[in-house]
Amino acid sequence: MKKNKRKLLKKTASSYTKLSLFQKPGVKFFKPCPLSGKDAPVVDYKNLRLLKKYISESQRILPSRVTSVSQKKQKELSRAIKRARLLALL
Amino acid sequence: MNYYEHTFISKEDLPESQKKKIIEKYSEIINNNLGKIIKTQDWGLRTFVYRIKNSKKGFYFHIKLEGEGKTVDELEKAENIDSNILRYLTVKVKKHDLETNYFEKKDYQK
Repeated sequence: MKKNKRKLLKKTASSYTKLSLFQKPGVKFFKPCPLSGKDAPVVDYKNLRLLKKYISESQRILPSRVTSVSQKKQKELSRAIKRARLLALL
Repeated sequence: MNYYEHTFISKEDLPESQKKKIIEKYSEIINNNLGKIIKTQDWGLRTFVYRIKNSKKGFYFHIKLEGEGKTVDELEKAENIDSNILRYLTVKVKKHDLETNYFEKKDYQK
C-alpha cells in the first residue's frame, strides 16, 4: 500500500506543474501531447473551439514548447489555423 | 476519384431567391465535370474577423464532393468570374466525416 501511494504522488504532483531550478534529479518535465493518442480531438479548420485554445490573445499560433503538442500534430494545427484565417473564421 | 471539401463565401446583400440558385449553379458545374456532390451545408450568415473586399458579413456555403482535379479547376474558374463570391477554399481530404457539423444551422442532404 505504501509503495503504491508514493508512486501516485510522483506522477501527479511533481513533474507536471513545478518548474524550478531545484527540481529533484531524475524527474522529467514530461507532459503528453493532448492531440495524439486514443480519443484525441480531430484537428480540423472547421473546429474553431479547438483551434482557439492554441492561439494567443493577439491571434498568434502558440509554440509547441508551451502547449506540448507533438511535432506532427503541430504541423497539422498550424495548417488548420491558417486555413481558418483564410475564411475569416479566426 | 478524390474527395474534396469546398467552402465559399458570398456577399451579404444576396436576395433569398438567389441563395438557392447559387448552390444549384455550382452543383451543376460539379455534376457536368465528372464530379458528384455528397453533401451540402449552409453555415448561414457570419461576421468576418477582418474585412474582405470592404464587407463585414457574408453567407457561408460548404460542399463535400467527390471528383477529380479537373472538377475543382472548372469550379474555381467559374467562381473567379462571379462577382457575388468573395472567397473560396478547397481542401483535399482522405475521408469525409458526415456526422459532425461544427456550424449547426440549416443542414440538408442532397
